[in-house]
Amino acid sequence: MKIDWQKIGIKELAALVSEKLRGEGVDSILVGGACVSIYTKNKYQSFDLDFVTHAAIKEVTALLAELGFQRESSRHFIRRDCPFFIEFVAPPAAVGSEPLKGEKKLKTKFGTIVLMTPTDSVKDRLAAYYHWNDQQALEQAIMVAGSQKIDFHEVKRWSEKEGHIEKHRQFLKRLRSKR
Amino acid sequence: MVIGKTMLEGIFGNIIVEKILFTLYVYGEGYPLGMARTFEEPVNRFQQQLKRLENAGIIVSRLIGRVRVYTFNPRYPFLVQLKALIAKAFEFLPEKEKDAYYKKRTRPRRTGKPL
Repeated sequence: MKIDWQKIGIKELAALVSEKLRGEGVDSILVGGACVSIYTKNKYQSFDLDFVTHAAIKEVTALLAELGFQRESSRHFIRRDCPFFIEFVAPPAAVGSEPLKGEKKLKTKFGTIVLMTPTDSVKDRLAAYYHWNDQQALEQAIMVAGSQKIDFHEVKRWSEKEGHIEKHRQFLKRLRSKR
Repeated sequence: MVIGKTMLEGIFGNIIVEKILFTLYVYGEGYPLGMARTFEEPVNRFQQQLKRLENAGIIVSRLIGRVRVYTFNPRYPFLVQLKALIAKAFEFLPEKEKDAYYKKRTRPRRTGKPL
């Protein structure tokens, strides 16, 4: 399959990378802003693909080189003709102090992406809002919650555990006003 | 008793990492040149270890003007446990060392006032 690297979408690239790694027995999961892009159908456009894997970075480097991505710094990879930036963030895959609650598999014509669930994606964005008061992250959490089926009880439970129930109320208030 | 080793060095394998963790624990944040001056060590030793801790997701940084300021990553899943370990180790730090490195003035000082 011929790939137009300049015009490739984030979902397609995520699938290509996931398949490449899986083909060599390397498990990975897509986390962060790329999941927001996918779940909101690019209402929010991220140019970073953050993966978590327990494989050695050396092994990942060799596999990504086969897709034309070169290691730019310790954990970042770029391909000159591709607008996206790939990062392998340090494991474990977590939101706040808890591990991810499962994963979602998404089939595309380029292969299957394993990514965090929509509920974990909302929690992941809320974590940035809770800890750094990041308003963009709050907007992204609202976008995902407005586009996907979310377990709101789970989001509330987790928010309480993280100690941010007041900000959780703000999130719900903003979400209701957008609907 | 382990002679010549500091408390967390045995775990983290590096004396600089211990200084970084204590600094962030006590002051909440820190920057490479500030730490290098405090401990009278070359700045590149701090930069190297800060980068390593950042890559591991333990700390995060942001640019303030031209200075890269580091803090603990509130999203690091083992942060509570790590801080508990640092707190315990800090209790055992000699008072002389605490006075020398970890009791710097942190309250504001109005611009123009003599030091």
